[in-house]
Amino acid sequence: MTDLEISRAWLVDPASGREGPGEIVVREGVLRAVTWLEGDDAAGVDASGVIVTPGFIDLHAHLREPGNEDAETVATGLAAAAHGGFTTVCAMPNTTPALDDPAVLDRIRAAAEASRSPVELLAHGAVTMDRSGETLAPLGELADAGVVGFSDDGAPVRSAAILRNALAYAGALGLPIVDHAEDPTQTAGAEANDGFVATVLGLRGWPVSAEVAAVARDLAIFSDVLRDVPGARLHLTHLSTRAALDLVRRAKSDGLPVTCDVTPHHLALTDEWIAGARRYAWEAGPDGDPWRDDVIGAEPFAPAMRVNPPLRSPADALACLAALRDGTADAIATDHAPHTEVDKVVEFGFAANGISGIETALGLVLVAVDAGELTLPRAIALLTIGPAAILGDRGRRSAAGAGVGLTEGAPADLVVFDRADSWTVNPESLASRGKNSPLLGMSLPGRVLLTMAGGRTAYEAPAD
Amino acid sequence: MTDVAGERTGVPEVAVPSVDVAPESQPIGWRHRHLLDVDGLVAADLELVMRTADAMREVLARPIAKVPALRGRSVTILFYEASTRTRVSFEVAAKNLSADVVNIAASASSVTKGESLVDTVRTIEALGAQMLVMRHGVSGAPYLAAEVFGGSVLNGGDGWHAHPTQALLDLYTMRSRLGGGPSGLGVAGRKVVILGDVLHSRVARSNIWSLTAAGADLWLCGPPTLLRGFEAWAGRGAAAGRRFTVTSDVSAALRDADVVMALRIQRERMSSGLLPSLREYAARYGLTAARVATAKPGALVMHPGPMNEGVEIAADVAAGPQSVITDQVTNGVAIRMALLYLLAGVSPAESAKP
Repeated sequence: MTDLEISRAWLVDPASGREGPGEIVVREGVLRAVTWLEGDDAAGVDASGVIVTPGFIDLHAHLREPGNEDAETVATGLAAAAHGGFTTVCAMPNTTPALDDPAVLDRIRAAAEASRSPVELLAHGAVTMDRSGETLAPLGELADAGVVGFSDDGAPVRSAAILRNALAYAGALGLPIVDHAEDPTQTAGAEANDGFVATVLGLRGWPVSAEVAAVARDLAIFSDVLRDVPGARLHLTHLSTRAALDLVRRAKSDGLPVTCDVTPHHLALTDEWIAGARRYAWEAGPDGDPWRDDVIGAEPFAPAMRVNPPLRSPADALACLAALRDGTADAIATDHAPHTEVDKVVEFGFAANGISGIETALGLVLVAVDAGELTLPRAIALLTIGPAAILGDRGRRSAAGAGVGLTEGAPADLVVFDRADSWTVNPESLASRGKNSPLLGMSLPGRVLLTMAGGRTAYEAPAD
Repeated sequence: MTDVAGERTGVPEVAVPSVDVAPESQPIGWRHRHLLDVDGLVAADLELVMRTADAMREVLARPIAKVPALRGRSVTILFYEASTRTRVSFEVAAKNLSADVVNIAASASSVTKGESLVDTVRTIEALGAQMLVMRHGVSGAPYLAAEVFGGSVLNGGDGWHAHPTQALLDLYTMRSRLGGGPSGLGVAGRKVVILGDVLHSRVARSNIWSLTAAGADLWLCGPPTLLRGFEAWAGRGAAAGRRFTVTSDVSAALRDADVVMALRIQRERMSSGLLPSLREYAARYGLTAARVATAKPGALVMHPGPMNEGVEIAADVAAGPQSVITDQVTNGVAIRMALLYLLAGVSPAESAKP
């Protein structure tokens, strides 16, 4: 077990609502002391250097095992998570076979065990058998086996009738339905956000209305189901549009217990990147035009930019940030989607959807913090207590009563990063097998120095 | 945009190459290694292409229409989509310049065995190709090819995105007919209408860039389902000095037009619910003699081919006195000769951003 002492760092502890100069002491893997410094002891320590926070929780990651181990395995996915500062990862069930049977959960748990990674692996089960949208998966058996939610992610729960039943059935089990909000009748063959960039580049448009229509459907059904099953829960994952987030904002103000998350790429990147621009949403502004602004520096049609939901307009990305600020969005989730070169380094229209993003999430969020789009404590909350609230008491940290915080006496579960130290994203610096990052060659702030999960070292930066 | 303004007041100075000799034997003001789209071409580039095509027209008028300029160069023509007109045009152009030509039709290649585009392009390069002419059904595919190919890539049409040689031969045809004379792009201030399926058209997209750069008064017209997104582009374009008008009102579009270009309507547009029927399209948007009569007297009628006569264009209009459709085909060879020649003069090391 690990011993560690960090003095004169900036601690951020969303669970206690506190941030400031401090010190931590870990003895034999247990967080023995958290000391907040004051007065002269705190002099010269600020939030621009080494930062210590609770370990991050990812509600949405594709680990590809079983079925596509060339793209990622549980072992490489957990290593990538640790490199990104995540100590808890919820695997999505769209594997081959899908996680519609407890045996698949046993299999990935065995893979996690064999990897010896201390990162906690949780999993969502499929809503329907083989995610085909037709018949319910054995939700009760999967719940007994320990899944933390249900999702047909990669696709929405296609049938509204099935969704209604799933929300009710899962609600009685105390588990959320995690829906990928997309109306597939509007997106057949779609390649890029239906907007200016897609029009100019001749890419098949992926309309905002496809997400909005699905969110409206889900909210209407959820509202109905709650009358019968007050414990039902709906979580909308990777929302990407202003209009869909506006629907969630209104539903929350009406008292609906809906939650949602936004990905790092949808809050920072935009469809301009497909055109070859490499500026963040807040640099583009709501009316950004990469041709007019003469900011196209890279080749267009890079397949790494292809993702579902697609990178949206700058105005939509700015709306994602606003939703994260005002609490409409509850969490940042990575939608880490590693792919092989065979599936990804092809014509844009043939490329698989997805971004390998669990290792670049912190960096992108910190870029947004540096730009003043999010405060540091809010950003860390969205990576820790935000997703923890959606998981409820599931996960070992909550189950142990320690909660997700810098809690004295609990097994150390934390990340240490240096906000002033940047790193370059390249295939060698990514632990994931999926090298499909839109950020290859770019520099990100906040190099992770150390990740501890469950009292053990999950990642430690190599000495310079 | 300064180049566009310059175009209106005077023609950019360009040195016209002597096309009887190899391009690298003389200084030519061309810096693009690849031709993937026309969006990066400024007025001086367009003028150089036009003037070089003039020289190629002279070659084509000779008893033996052949120069040794590209002797010993290997040009591979890789088409992933069926095409006769464009493929043959490139082949004739390359042979007129004495290049060695290899033709690959995707159905006959290992593409059907699942080989990736990247592997195919690497193989073609290993077989000695220095220039790659490529057509592909997916927007952006030539950019992927250009990333791995050591020579020059010429886009022969990609998905809905771009068809740069078609846009340049269209501009050349307008310039020849509208009296721009040997100098000038000829279309400044002229009303040019592109009529039909703009949404799915790489020809329309490339023409937007080249015609707005040349100062034309460009109109896009068609059923609203086939103009999706273009009103927003027009709004953005106005802010960037790239003005054009989008309308479904065919009479407003054609009124006093100098040029009308009809686009092909494909049958699958009906099955996807974009149009009720071909008959309804022909009645409402087909380019008939009555509609042509509302344009300026002597207005040019164009079509990038292949045509559905009786649908987007009436047979008598296509064959009528105002039609320059066969000119477009002839000019296509001159333009492609010019582009092969200009690109061959650029070594990868000295090229600007492609």
